[in-house]
Amino acid sequence: MTTQTLIIADQHLELHPSGVIYWREEATLLISDLHLGKVTHFRKYGAAVPQKAIEQNFEVLEQNLHYFRPRKICFLGDLFHSSMNSEWHRFEEWVKKTEAEFLLISGNHDIISPLKYEALGITQVPELVWGPFLLTHFPEERAGYFNLSGHIHPAVRLRGHGRQSLRLPCFFKNKHQLILPAFGAFTGSHVLEKSEEDEVYAIADAAVIKI
Amino acid sequence: MKKIPSFSIAESWFREQGWTPFPFQKETWKAYLEGKNGLLNAPTGSGKTYALWFPIVLDYIRENPDYLKKHPKGLKAVWITPLRALSQEIRQSAERIINDLGLPLSVGIRTGDTSTRERSAQRKSMPDLLITTPESLQLLLASKGYHKTFWDCRAIVVDEWHELLGTKRGVQMELALSRLKTLSPKLRIWGISATIGNLEQARQVLLGPESNAYNNSVLIRASLDKKIRVVSIIPEEIETFPWRGHLGLRLLDSVIPIIRESKTTLIFTNTRSQCEIWYQKILERYPELAGEMAMHHGSINKDTRIWVEEAIRNEELKAVVCTSSLDLGVDFAPVETVIQIGGPKGVARFMQRAGRSGHRPGKESVIYFLPTHAIELVEASALEQAVAKNAVEDRIPYLSSYDVLVQYLTTLAVSEGFFPSEIYREVKSTFCYQGITEDEWRWLLNFLVMGSQSLQRYDEYKKVEADPDGRLVVNNRGIAMRHRFQIGTIVGDAHLTVRYQKGGYIGSIEEYFISKLTPGDVFTFAGRNLEFIRIKDMQALVRNSNKKTNKVPSWMGGRLTLSAQMSQLLREELYSANLPPAEQSEAIRCLAPIFRRQEQESLVPGPGTFLIETFKTRDGYHHIFYPFEGRFVHEAMGSLLGYRVSLLSPITFSLAFNDYGFELLSDQEIDIQAIIDNDLFSTAYLLDDLQKSLNSTEMARRKFRDIAVISGMVFTGYPEKGVKMKHLQSSSQLLFEVFKDYEPDNLLYLQAYRETFEHQLEEGRLRLALERIGRQEIVWKPCSKPTPFSFPIITDRLREKMSSEKLADRIKKMTALLMK
Repeated sequence: MTTQTLIIADQHLELHPSGVIYWREEATLLISDLHLGKVTHFRKYGAAVPQKAIEQNFEVLEQNLHYFRPRKICFLGDLFHSSMNSEWHRFEEWVKKTEAEFLLISGNHDIISPLKYEALGITQVPELVWGPFLLTHFPEERAGYFNLSGHIHPAVRLRGHGRQSLRLPCFFKNKHQLILPAFGAFTGSHVLEKSEEDEVYAIADAAVIKI
Repeated sequence: MKKIPSFSIAESWFREQGWTPFPFQKETWKAYLEGKNGLLNAPTGSGKTYALWFPIVLDYIRENPDYLKKHPKGLKAVWITPLRALSQEIRQSAERIINDLGLPLSVGIRTGDTSTRERSAQRKSMPDLLITTPESLQLLLASKGYHKTFWDCRAIVVDEWHELLGTKRGVQMELALSRLKTLSPKLRIWGISATIGNLEQARQVLLGPESNAYNNSVLIRASLDKKIRVVSIIPEEIETFPWRGHLGLRLLDSVIPIIRESKTTLIFTNTRSQCEIWYQKILERYPELAGEMAMHHGSINKDTRIWVEEAIRNEELKAVVCTSSLDLGVDFAPVETVIQIGGPKGVARFMQRAGRSGHRPGKESVIYFLPTHAIELVEASALEQAVAKNAVEDRIPYLSSYDVLVQYLTTLAVSEGFFPSEIYREVKSTFCYQGITEDEWRWLLNFLVMGSQSLQRYDEYKKVEADPDGRLVVNNRGIAMRHRFQIGTIVGDAHLTVRYQKGGYIGSIEEYFISKLTPGDVFTFAGRNLEFIRIKDMQALVRNSNKKTNKVPSWMGGRLTLSAQMSQLLREELYSANLPPAEQSEAIRCLAPIFRRQEQESLVPGPGTFLIETFKTRDGYHHIFYPFEGRFVHEAMGSLLGYRVSLLSPITFSLAFNDYGFELLSDQEIDIQAIIDNDLFSTAYLLDDLQKSLNSTEMARRKFRDIAVISGMVFTGYPEKGVKMKHLQSSSQLLFEVFKDYEPDNLLYLQAYRETFEHQLEEGRLRLALERIGRQEIVWKPCSKPTPFSFPIITDRLREKMSSEKLADRIKKMTALLMK
């Protein structure tokens, strides 16, 4: 497994192939677009999406906890995909046994009552200024801050000789912001065009590779 | 047993019209009235509707001698047509008989075009004779009390069965018939089919193999021998004739004298975009034809199409540029001449089109073939052979299509519920599901009821539920409603309707095309230049524009492959290039300069040689192989060979193919000698290698899209709510990914691969082709530049990728390229 560490405003951000960022100075795990509840939502409407995709999300979360041992976990929005369904209970179980502080930046999908999060000890905020960073769900540029966000589910398309082409989820960075890939197992991605100033860190198998 | 009535009623009716019944019509009447099922092989426009409407009516008279006093209510016969556009014609011929004989029978139509009001009136009281489509028949099975509708139904006629056979709509029909056999004990099942290679099998699929219905059935052939003459349009100067292309506009001028000389000419094109372009270009160059020429294809609105059809009948048109939309349906007597532009990719289709002309008895049909690029002249010559030998192709029926079965079982659960053991027997009796095992059946039931194979904690899956008595039902109204809506969407591509902003329907276009337009773009459609404004509620809004444009919508449906027989004839024609000119056809002779160019750089293969060419261009290293087997086999063979080459050393390719050969394009040179030395065209481990080679391609993923929709895992959305089809596309892809990662033993997921092998890759044909190559001498020609044969292939932009390099290595290479 290969990660990439970026230094932004003197802070160390480690990009992990599961799509999370570990912020070393704050011992915080940043996770975007988990879309919990989506599989169950589909199943409720008669589409038999494999249930193993639900467990997969929690397994990868566990692996990350084990690897980084973070003090805080901050979700950059779209934590829960739909209105309340039974996947919430699975999430509750996981939160209760996890020893870390939880934060949620609201995303457009997060329509579950803030009281529910409060009851679990999760602090929910529309956005958060933290050190040199502005944490939001939607990518945004604000003077004086470096923005960390999600929402887009970025992917990159690579082309090679012989008309080859390849599509990979990625961390997408420019001068003012860094967009995280979607973490969830049933989320899909959106291809972004890379311009000169952009830096792209693609997730290929178990490695994060700078393009 | 009642006496079989004489045909005197029918015969005298024919006399009154000034006609004489054909022997096949009488034979069909007799067989029907003897209580037999059957398949009638008769071409369009031969009087096939009268061959079956008559005995249905005669049977009614026999059963109800007092029909004027005592007319039993209820459905008596169902006529299935694959195209709802044909339903009016069928109704007219039925009504003609009924009115002339003064019978109290009513005829109704029930298709997607039927109003809700009429449909609910029909539900209360069915017409005696119902004309409908396979989808609407399924919808009847999805309504409460459907068994009462059908209990006294005596006949079901499946028209144009060859069009349904080999499609999933055909499977839908098989399932519906399996149900109706139980519901309507007195049912007779008849199919009508144009000539195809596997007529016997067509009968078996229709009636169920080894079924009572099949054992009590006949196959009747109309055998109305018709002379067909094929005339190839040969370019005057082959040297300047293009090496590639598919439009054929270069020869436009030679079409005009043909149009002028005959009463009405149909010009068949292969795709709707080609149709649009030809129409435009003819008018541009010959404006005097305006008003005498029209266009007809499936995306133009219905009223315009009907107008065009009427105008043909009334001899108001000199020429009509059309697509397969005019393949079916009733006769157009004034049509004297037919022109086919570009390879028709099928002998049966070509002959059917030829049969559109010269409809008077004893008159020969003439069809002109217009090649779109030089190598297609070889095809012209092969077509002449094929027509002479009547070498028509098979329609391969689907086997074990679990998606259609899941849809059907949900249909039954929506209407009245079903008992699995009863339905299992029926399903197993069909051709499609003859091989289904009890394990697979249980899997499907689990899938419907639990959405998986075992009960899971926290699960909220809801679709079909089990009643305490074991009946499987859908209780949820939302699920039932979504399912009914979904039934009609069994056929393929996402379409958007095109409308003027001020109102006025123009037609429909694949969403794929619209999604590439930005507001303000101008494109040609339905013979007009239109400016795209925006998308609203599944509609593309447009206004007229005077701007010139070369944007023409493309329809994926245009990509067809060559049949096995046709490929063989094609190869034989090509081999004749090596014969003395006196033994060659005109088309081959005219190609002599091209063959010389080919010989200079490479060679023209004979029956004993298999040609491989290699050369380098700016794009990379080209490796071209010429099996001449049709694009599907080439796609498979290319993947297979690519995989086997990649085992020798890590390498990445893209694959391009057409009907003549395929290309592996790479950034590295492939050692062709190693391919020959290692016997990479071997049939050993074929299936295994093919499966592995496919891992890195997109084929199964594309197949899965339809499977996900048909089986109800992806909902296409209500029309008025305008859920964009783009969501469906991406979410079926997403589903494919989750199945790949988390449920690779899912039967529907596996089906995507099986369909890829059986229908897309034509594994059987691939094996035969490899065996043939095994007997040939492989000749490798390193060339300095592209050859005439290779040109159409290397310029094809639709490509498959495959790789044996590690992902990280590929990225490094691509990144290095970006840096340059």
